[in-house]
Amino acid sequence: MLVAGFLIIVGFGGVIFSLIRWQVVRGEELKGAALGNILQSTELTAMRGTIYDASGDKILAQSSSVWTVVLEPNYIFDDSDAKENPRTAEQKKKIIAAGLAPILDMEEEAIYEKASQKVNFSYLKRRIETDVRNQVLQFLKDNDIDQGVYLIDDYKRYYKYGTVASIILGHTGAEGEGQNGIEYQYNDELSGTAGRLISAKNAWGTDMPFQYEQLVDAEDGNNLVLTIDETVQSILEKHLQEGIDRYVVANGAIAILMDVNTGAIVGLASKSDYDPNSPSTIQNEALRNQIDAMPETTEEEETAKSEARSAAIYAQWRNKAVSDTYYPGSVFKIITGSMALNEGVVTENSLYTCTGHYDIAGVDDPIKCWKTAGHGTQTFRQGLMNSCNPFFINIGQQVGPQAFYKYFEAFGFAEKTGIDLPGETGSLIFSEANLTPINLAVASMGQNFGINPIQMITATAAVANGGYLVQPHVVDRIVDNDGNIISKTDTSYKRQVISKETSALMADIMKDNASGTGTSTAGNGYVAGYRISGKTGTSEKMDEFRKHPERGKQYIASYCGFAPADNPQYALLVFFDEPQYDQNGSLYGGNAVAGPIFASIMEEVLPYLNVKAQYTEEEFDSLNQTAPSVVGKTLAEAYDVVGSMNLNYRVVGDSEDESLVVSNQIPQAGEAMPNGGTIYLYTQNFDDGDQQTTVPDFFGSSLSDAEYYASINNVQIITSGSGKVITQSIESGESVPEGSIIELKLADDIVTETYVYE
Amino acid sequence: MTTTGKTLGGYDKRKAGANQQNNLVAASKKNIKKIPFALFSRGAGMDLPLFFFIVVLLCIGLIMLFSASFAYCYYKYDDSYYFIKRQLVFAIVGVIAMLLISTVDYHRYHQLAWPIFLITILLLVAVLVVGKSVNGAKRWIEIGPIGFQPSEIAKFALILVFAHMISQRVGKMATFKEGVLPFLIVLGVICVLIIAEKHLSATIIVATIGVIMMFVGGTKIRYFAIPAVIGVVAIGVLLLFSEKFGYASSRVEVWLDPFNPKLGSDEAWQIQQSLYAIGSGQLLGVGLGQSRQKHLYLPEPQNDFIFAIVCEELGFVGALVVIILFALLIWRGIYVSLHARDKFGTMLGLGITFQIGIQIVLNICVVTNTIPNTGISLPFFSYGGTALMIILAEMGILLQISRSSNIEKM
Repeated sequence: MLVAGFLIIVGFGGVIFSLIRWQVVRGEELKGAALGNILQSTELTAMRGTIYDASGDKILAQSSSVWTVVLEPNYIFDDSDAKENPRTAEQKKKIIAAGLAPILDMEEEAIYEKASQKVNFSYLKRRIETDVRNQVLQFLKDNDIDQGVYLIDDYKRYYKYGTVASIILGHTGAEGEGQNGIEYQYNDELSGTAGRLISAKNAWGTDMPFQYEQLVDAEDGNNLVLTIDETVQSILEKHLQEGIDRYVVANGAIAILMDVNTGAIVGLASKSDYDPNSPSTIQNEALRNQIDAMPETTEEEETAKSEARSAAIYAQWRNKAVSDTYYPGSVFKIITGSMALNEGVVTENSLYTCTGHYDIAGVDDPIKCWKTAGHGTQTFRQGLMNSCNPFFINIGQQVGPQAFYKYFEAFGFAEKTGIDLPGETGSLIFSEANLTPINLAVASMGQNFGINPIQMITATAAVANGGYLVQPHVVDRIVDNDGNIISKTDTSYKRQVISKETSALMADIMKDNASGTGTSTAGNGYVAGYRISGKTGTSEKMDEFRKHPERGKQYIASYCGFAPADNPQYALLVFFDEPQYDQNGSLYGGNAVAGPIFASIMEEVLPYLNVKAQYTEEEFDSLNQTAPSVVGKTLAEAYDVVGSMNLNYRVVGDSEDESLVVSNQIPQAGEAMPNGGTIYLYTQNFDDGDQQTTVPDFFGSSLSDAEYYASINNVQIITSGSGKVITQSIESGESVPEGSIIELKLADDIVTETYVYE
Repeated sequence: MTTTGKTLGGYDKRKAGANQQNNLVAASKKNIKKIPFALFSRGAGMDLPLFFFIVVLLCIGLIMLFSASFAYCYYKYDDSYYFIKRQLVFAIVGVIAMLLISTVDYHRYHQLAWPIFLITILLLVAVLVVGKSVNGAKRWIEIGPIGFQPSEIAKFALILVFAHMISQRVGKMATFKEGVLPFLIVLGVICVLIIAEKHLSATIIVATIGVIMMFVGGTKIRYFAIPAVIGVVAIGVLLLFSEKFGYASSRVEVWLDPFNPKLGSDEAWQIQQSLYAIGSGQLLGVGLGQSRQKHLYLPEPQNDFIFAIVCEELGFVGALVVIILFALLIWRGIYVSLHARDKFGTMLGLGITFQIGIQIVLNICVVTNTIPNTGISLPFFSYGGTALMIILAEMGILLQISRSSNIEKM
């Protein structure tokens, strides 16, 4: 009995001791751990906000419901003892892999591998569309698979306009988080708050009857309305690409259009861009092919290839307009001039004689003017129009380093602009102490210091708008899902930099500069009727040259200006980084390369933005020109003639061989046609009948409508007056050859026909 | 209950000799024949406390089985009552069998000892050939709808044959030839066959029962010294070189560090979930039926790990009550056995009691990770019809021993 009692006490005592250890001593800890397993917190994804363009109608980025297929490998159970359809876990995994592979467009092997991992949860395929989802559900139903595979709600981001504005919009990552541009900058606003459903789950992950359950609803993200207008943006990108192609630009280009009075960025193009719908696809086809063609047989080659790919992807994601500095070059003379006028060291008519160089005490090499023979004696107005280096060096020296640096700061070059886009770079400017005479001299003409393009256009806007440094921004307002405005970006002035008078005078001088009168250097930016104020810049990339002298001197060709000069509304900065058009020729300068693109953009954008054209009589006459004679010339010759006249051409008939002879042209030689109009060049082998078109009815249309009708009917128009069309030179319904000129007379409701084309 | 002396007319167990016992045998034989179903009557009735503990434990066991299994059954069979319905049938049949067996004079088993042993040997051999393979080990024989493990029967066969052998060697157990050798052969044969099934836990139980019965039966303690040393060394080697024994070693790893996150095996999961369940119960439990761990977290909560659910739902206090009931059952079983009217009864009763006791302690030790995981079911609680039937049948024998014992009955 003693032995028995001893055994009972030892045996059961030991057991009780164990229970005390686990239940009483470690009970709380184990209970917590067990609840951690059991309480599953399911995240309820919030829908990301929509991004609208400035019109408020066009949706630039939007999320839509999709589904994500989730695998729960640990919950694919063995059912081999089930009455119906007995299967082992292994068999089920094989069925799942074989069945889902074609539906999800995945490798069967890859799915099987995922299903065989010892994990509770893994994504099988993210973001599938409704039709695929239905197929998955059908498969699961047909094959009686109720655990291990399921679908969760997810969202996919769509960018309707593809590459348009991609550099501003950015894109989202695998978890839907913003990764670039506005998507990144405004991620918190856009992403909303994820909800959470806390519920008790059994080990299969399905609900179990249990008292814990807590629901916190997801709050969808807010919507953004941008200052970017999709139409303007597209115009910017179109012309920028034209410029890049035409001038064989090696290192990208940008165009920024800003409302000078509010700081709103209406368009911001930065090439190269990408398609945010698939951000990791290299957009530049040539580059993509080149990288795809790289060998990858050895490990080093593989590394090199993947590095090249990443570099290309990161490069296309980089917003050059915000993240890179550049030497503003002669465009900066606007600033030097403004500060000199504002400080009173010069007036409009102050004289200075340019001898072709500027000598600085203690410096051996004098700084040369671009016109080595010298500009002679010039007024301030002439100096700016000549973009005379010694002139601006001189006034820079007169302003002095202290004041010069003060204006650096005042114009916002010493600090980031704070634009609401990610990755803005700071500037690399001379400190006040560093503004030695030589540095002050090069700084006066915009060389040897780096600023970002947003800083340049913001400073230009200050010159234009009466002297106010505005806050540049791309988001106009944040709106919740009920349409309530949560925040609105009000126009904010940081400070007044120059006086209204200085501003007005600069605008006027720059207008002369852009109008191409006299010795002006910026005539290519001219757009008839819109009173463009402009300044060119051709910056030498000196640091690049020091690093890679073998490439020769590389330039940034820029054109910066605003319109209309008498009431500035929009400023535009265009630059092309390293145009390669003709290394020996002259096509790298701001006027030659950036000027025409600046003009093309302004010409299209300003009417769209409701800036009213006001033609001078001269302008009105010169709106039209006479068609040159090209019949009998070869196509190549004809292209040259037409190209030199600010006209376009379209070839009808065979065009592959440039030595073909032009057999006919419309309009005929000597006929009046609009500037920038199109000459139709007919080669042999065309059928006359095919090239006929019917004249549309223009009556009552606005200028832009008339242009639209003309373009879709393949006729050309010359207009006079402003307002609505009141007469047309060829009656509607008549059949004419494509490219025919139709003269339209427009009149306002109140008829003030100052300029009548006869 | 009063002391044993009065009612039995001056009977004193300390003086109890063979003669007195023989007289009692004769007396009890008569009584049994006269009133076979007089359950608790004086003289030939059952030991009421023993019966009470059996019934109470069986009831608690069934309730807990229902609670532990209903979630599993719901998910797996879409029928929460799937297991409890089956177990109830076996329990009812088993209780009836128990009562019937309690009326059968256990001396008849003298003749059955060797035949049952031989049949068991045959079954143990047969299972190696025709047995159903579950988890890589052949342990089950299926005849029609009923499946049973020969190793379960082997436990009883060993108890019976040892009780028989010891009762025939009263007074001769001290010698090696009589007290060790025959037993060693019988035990050896059974153990080898069970080891061949890879049924470690059954081997341990059978061997332990055998050794305890020999010891109680009178084998000199010095004969246990060498096997004991060998046993201790074997366990030590097993632990030291555990990684070399693939199958068992992973269990040892889990035992040593159950919450090691590197452990991804099913065994680790089972032990972890068991400890979560036990811990979650804390002092007073989450309440009957409220277990969370049974919702598929603890694998097969109705089987070996049912006690974890008892701990979770009833808490430390509830588990303690169950353990005390088990301890009382064992105590009463030993008490009854020691008061059996002859050596055969004592040995048979002790064997059965020890078997139940060892299973209870080992099971709870496994569930609480006190020893490495090895499949031992919990008597009266775990799901399993044949196992319950065998236990109840054994309880019937124990009750029969109590009927004919010299304990005062009500």
